[in-house]
Amino acid sequence: MNGARARASLAFLASALLLGGFAAALLTHCGRGARTLHIYTWADYFKPSLVARFEKQNGCRVVIDTYDSNETMYAKIKAGARGYDLLTPTSYMVSLMDSQGMVLKLDHTLLPNLVHVDPEYLGLAIDKGMDHSVPYMIVNTVIAYLGSRVQEFEPSWAMFDRTDLRGRMTMLNDMRETIGAGLKFLGYSLNSTDKAELAAAKEVVIRWKKNIAKYENEQYKTGVASGEFLLVQGYSGDILQVQQENADVRFAVPREGTTISVDDLIIPEGAKEIGLAHAFINFLHDPEVAAENIAFLKYLCPNKDAYPLLSADLRKNPGIFMDPEVRARSEIIANLGERNALYVEIWDEIKAAK
Amino acid sequence: MRRSRWPFVLTLAVLFFFYLPILILIVNSFNVSRFESGWQGFSLMWYKRLFHEPEIWRAAKNSLLIAAGATAVSLVIGTTAAIALHRFARSRLQRFHFGLVYTPLVVPEILMGISLLMLFVAAGVELGLLTIFLAHVTFCVSFVAMTVLARLQDFDESIVEAARDLGAGWWETTRRVLLPMLLPGLVAGGLLAFTLSIDDFVITFFVAGPGSTTLPIRVYSMIKHGSPPLINALSTILLVLTFTAVAASQRLSRSRRKGPQ
Repeated sequence: MNGARARASLAFLASALLLGGFAAALLTHCGRGARTLHIYTWADYFKPSLVARFEKQNGCRVVIDTYDSNETMYAKIKAGARGYDLLTPTSYMVSLMDSQGMVLKLDHTLLPNLVHVDPEYLGLAIDKGMDHSVPYMIVNTVIAYLGSRVQEFEPSWAMFDRTDLRGRMTMLNDMRETIGAGLKFLGYSLNSTDKAELAAAKEVVIRWKKNIAKYENEQYKTGVASGEFLLVQGYSGDILQVQQENADVRFAVPREGTTISVDDLIIPEGAKEIGLAHAFINFLHDPEVAAENIAFLKYLCPNKDAYPLLSADLRKNPGIFMDPEVRARSEIIANLGERNALYVEIWDEIKAAK
Repeated sequence: MRRSRWPFVLTLAVLFFFYLPILILIVNSFNVSRFESGWQGFSLMWYKRLFHEPEIWRAAKNSLLIAAGATAVSLVIGTTAAIALHRFARSRLQRFHFGLVYTPLVVPEILMGISLLMLFVAAGVELGLLTIFLAHVTFCVSFVAMTVLARLQDFDESIVEAARDLGAGWWETTRRVLLPMLLPGLVAGGLLAFTLSIDDFVITFFVAGPGSTTLPIRVYSMIKHGSPPLINALSTILLVLTFTAVAASQRLSRSRRKGPQ
């Protein structure tokens, strides 16, 4: 009887191995033949017809995988995940990755379209020479509000001091954005590491905290669309989408200046299709392609020769094209390295404040 | 004596609590509104858009393939493990084995994800569907083993002995006595494994490689960067499929019970 059981178990095990082998064979089966470019990016970040065009022009396949935050993507690549040829992290993450040797230098002979990149934008960028990263899309942090419900709106961070809107406003649940708004309100750099400046900004943000409903990164879109919130700090690209639903939603860039977030195109260390990745970066900065992508995504691709190709509506849109004066006062969030701890400390105090 | 109404009311309240979110999701999948800011009209537009999103279907295919494979393999390995654990429950080796099988149930997912990723990288295994499949088998085996083990504990060994006395060979005993008696446990374990595999995010995120984005990974990214109503439409389709499958399996098992013996 023992023998019989053992044999039964053996049969089970044998079929398991068989199944396992079968599954393995099925799962390792990959695209053969044509070269494949593996892109690791945010969902819906390239206009699909443009990707199809690139595939056709280069006789290759493009496979897109998605992540949902810079940090998880970083953790994964840092732990040794390989096989991706192109990433689109936000610039602060790019500088962190670059400082750890995780990013390849770009070969400019393969990127003739870089002449189209907007030099005004490059003045603000961290990697000004596009040594290892090329800017892809820009989003600004703005203040959005319901036109019919917010009286005497002013394009200023001071709006968060308005007690008549108490409990009906949200700010971003992001220490650099929210403390950054406080620093900008006081006229300081949002990358400040001066203790006195940061302490002053902390006081401002705690004062604002008493007026807002909560810190919120996602639900503010639904909230302002439905009228639950009257005034929110949010990203221009998202607000432009909300506007399509609720025409009463307006927005403005605070006159004190704001944060500019940029996602860069980078080729990670360990990429296999380095040539194709360069070709794709070059393709995205073809002015015509860039213009199509801007119209699709409603973000700004900093490609100066694409601007004239855009419709008048998009050209006039303040969510895409900032007023030059305000832009001069705005900044890109920089990776502060160890001094990041200064912000973490203040953010903890703000979160704990009553 | 009049029966109390409280059990009925309570049941209704609990069902309401469980199913209201799902109901809202289904209703919203037909809502024109992109941000779910109230009802803005009935439309099938999200379903139409869903059918023009090849990336989502690729992810769904990956998820189903992995879930089916992981369920099949973990069902076999888990069952053998359960049989061994049950038969030799008192041996020290099996007590150690029990610990090993039990651990994945309590280890935090993020730890398992990172450690599996580091293992695969160290072993030079290319990340992709295969590594996700292996990772899913790793945690599904434990769930299957525990479910089947529970079933084995109410199992009357004398039935197997009776079958052997009556001249059944090992294969016949297994096929006609052991497996049918274990079937409810196998079905429960299999369903559990399938469900866990198809909606796992944390572990999958770490061990996924290029070209192997699964549905949960895709959905998480879409929440931040894409169109949430598409997710509602997709979930509704999955729900309909799941309910149909469960209803069908219940129907099937009922008719088998009634059938001639």
